[in-house]
Amino acid sequence: MAVSTLAAPSRARVARGGPLERQANRLFWPFVGPALAFYGLLFLAPIIFAAWTSLYRWDGMGEMKWRGLDNYRTLIDDQSFHYAVLNTIKILVVGGVATFAVSFALTLALREMWGKMFARSVLFFPCLVNALVFGIAAGFLFGPDGPVNKVLHLIGIDVVPKWLSVDNLPAMIIATIVWTATGYYTTIIMAAVDQIPTYLYEAAELEGANAWQRFRHITLPLSWEVVSVCAVLWTVSSVKVFEIVLLFGGGATTNDAPIQTWTTAMYVYFSAFPRSSVPKLGLAAAAAVVSLVMVGLFVLVLRRIMRRERVVL
Amino acid sequence: MRGPKVTAVLAAGALALTACGGGSGSESKSSGGEFTYWSMWKENEPQAKVIKAAIDKFSKETGTKVDVEWQGRDIRTKIGPAIAANKAPDLVENGFDVINSLLVSTGQAMDLTPVYNSEVPGEGKKVSDVIPAKYLDAMPKDPDGVTRWIVPYVLNSAMYYYNKADADLATTPATWDDFVKLCDTLKAKAKACVASDGDNTWTNFLLLDYLLVRDNGPGTLGKIYADKTGAGWDQPGVLESAKKIEQLVKGGYLLKGYDASKYPAQQTNWATGKAAFHLDGTWVPSEASKNLASGFKVGEFAVPTTKGGNTEIDIIPLGFAIPKKAKHAEAAQKFIAYFLKKDNLTGISTEAENMTPREDIPAPEQLTDAQKLLTENPSRLPLDGVPGDYLDKGIAPAFNDLWLGKATAEQFVAKAKQGHINFWKANG
Repeated sequence: MAVSTLAAPSRARVARGGPLERQANRLFWPFVGPALAFYGLLFLAPIIFAAWTSLYRWDGMGEMKWRGLDNYRTLIDDQSFHYAVLNTIKILVVGGVATFAVSFALTLALREMWGKMFARSVLFFPCLVNALVFGIAAGFLFGPDGPVNKVLHLIGIDVVPKWLSVDNLPAMIIATIVWTATGYYTTIIMAAVDQIPTYLYEAAELEGANAWQRFRHITLPLSWEVVSVCAVLWTVSSVKVFEIVLLFGGGATTNDAPIQTWTTAMYVYFSAFPRSSVPKLGLAAAAAVVSLVMVGLFVLVLRRIMRRERVVL
Repeated sequence: MRGPKVTAVLAAGALALTACGGGSGSESKSSGGEFTYWSMWKENEPQAKVIKAAIDKFSKETGTKVDVEWQGRDIRTKIGPAIAANKAPDLVENGFDVINSLLVSTGQAMDLTPVYNSEVPGEGKKVSDVIPAKYLDAMPKDPDGVTRWIVPYVLNSAMYYYNKADADLATTPATWDDFVKLCDTLKAKAKACVASDGDNTWTNFLLLDYLLVRDNGPGTLGKIYADKTGAGWDQPGVLESAKKIEQLVKGGYLLKGYDASKYPAQQTNWATGKAAFHLDGTWVPSEASKNLASGFKVGEFAVPTTKGGNTEIDIIPLGFAIPKKAKHAEAAQKFIAYFLKKDNLTGISTEAENMTPREDIPAPEQLTDAQKLLTENPSRLPLDGVPGDYLDKGIAPAFNDLWLGKATAEQFVAKAKQGHINFWKANG
């Protein structure tokens, strides 16, 4: 991506000579301008406003009081923010590795499977279901007398984990996210894999490559660009994880989800719209800025790590 | 070419109609004024139906136009932005805790003393005569020292619920020792004593909150909260209260599975008769009514007293408030007084099955004991009205360890103190 944005203007400069290119150059700003203006108004301006707000104490109604960097200091001291950052990173890294491992495994299996279109639809299904359903279903399925424990008892396992206890909630949440996301990423990756000509696989098979080698030397390199886009999508979406935590953590009751399960998105929400505390929009903005920087850094590093020469067939 | 002409005629007709409508509207406006009202109920909820009936009558009698929006619980995220945009509704409603944090501590709530001094239409009594002062004096003060910023029309509380038809529970425990003894008797009969959902922290904490005042006197948690050093946690009485929780947990009196259940699973188990008692807000009897075992007759008793002798009962009022920036406050104030009329407010008890703050309106049948307890005992706010933040961030992690049997009372006190200090470090 970085390469192409750098390349465009230099190509334009080189091409200055031709009349067609000169015309195209003249149209550059009229075409880009409106989009840029919209982008600035709808994305950059709010970000700048958030960064500015993060320097104040503000209840959203009254006067804004200057705090300088105190909101950021609060974040450093606030244990619930530590949990939030840690959980977000856990979802991003642990959840990410698990999601992509499962997606690749499924890709391997699905490529040659009979009835793969049907299997794909089944895999994609959880992605269509509202997180609300999982939150409610979890309380029923994993309750002390729920079906999951009953089945475990039937097969002779009596020491069952306390699925829904606060300690296990983060793991349960990550597992649910992985389950719902897997189908989504498998579908995208499969679309890329479908484009790979079958003769490559046939040739590899003739030369005695096993399934793993075919994956390692054909599937992965030829779908790499799509995979790296998926990785960025995953990073961005994992920073926004919100409703599933709210529902798992008992957000429907009189208390908020336990801080041990918070993500940065929840921290922002509970700071801005607390149930029975004064709203702290400055603090919410500071947390939002921190998570923006965090996701920005992750994407940057990820893009660097995943940069490869494009394989052209 | 016919199309545009027809549209033009229609448009003209519509304009004429709206002009007519506008005319009659402004007429009624001049006679009785108007105000906007944001409700915390959705239109199909029983409370909304009672309020709507009162609005219709009020409009007819006074000629006031009431522009009501049934916002539902989302209202708490909408009031702030509306005030910031100078489009504040003239009348809002919510639980005292939400109004307190959103409007009162930010200095945005109007002093409603004039409402309390005004007459309940047709009753010859003032509003302050029908709403006992003890329900209002407990309210936190706003920056100007005002406590009359809410006019409650629902009065919730928190107490133990049990089945009056159960012969084992014929006498309810008055003291903590009686309570434990009864739990033991039940245990011998293989019956669980108390139901609780492990994830329902606020509700579970109600017991420790009550025990803190029973053992140490009024306002204990409030005082602990206010002392930023955390020294409040070191009082011997605090440990004593925590030990009672430990006793309950270690004694195995809590219905099994509570430490891994999700609300309302165990509440439902209580309703079906799997545990004797359940401590929560007075909304539980109507919430659980669908699941009640046959012959179940809901009754209430207060969290038992200890040597400290304190008998305070939690009040969780829910009612009207007016933002300072409201443009039609006067009309809204008139409606508040009107709604408190006995014939309006009775619907809150009979239709919506909530208690009202008026002692002359009988509570719904399943809350008769609760109303009696509220009338006869001094009042307090749950958690002494400390911000929800403090429970979530400061104490909840420590309390959950205690409640779920992972920590002793001593460990709880130490961890709560640390959480308290961390809370003030971040929020001081």
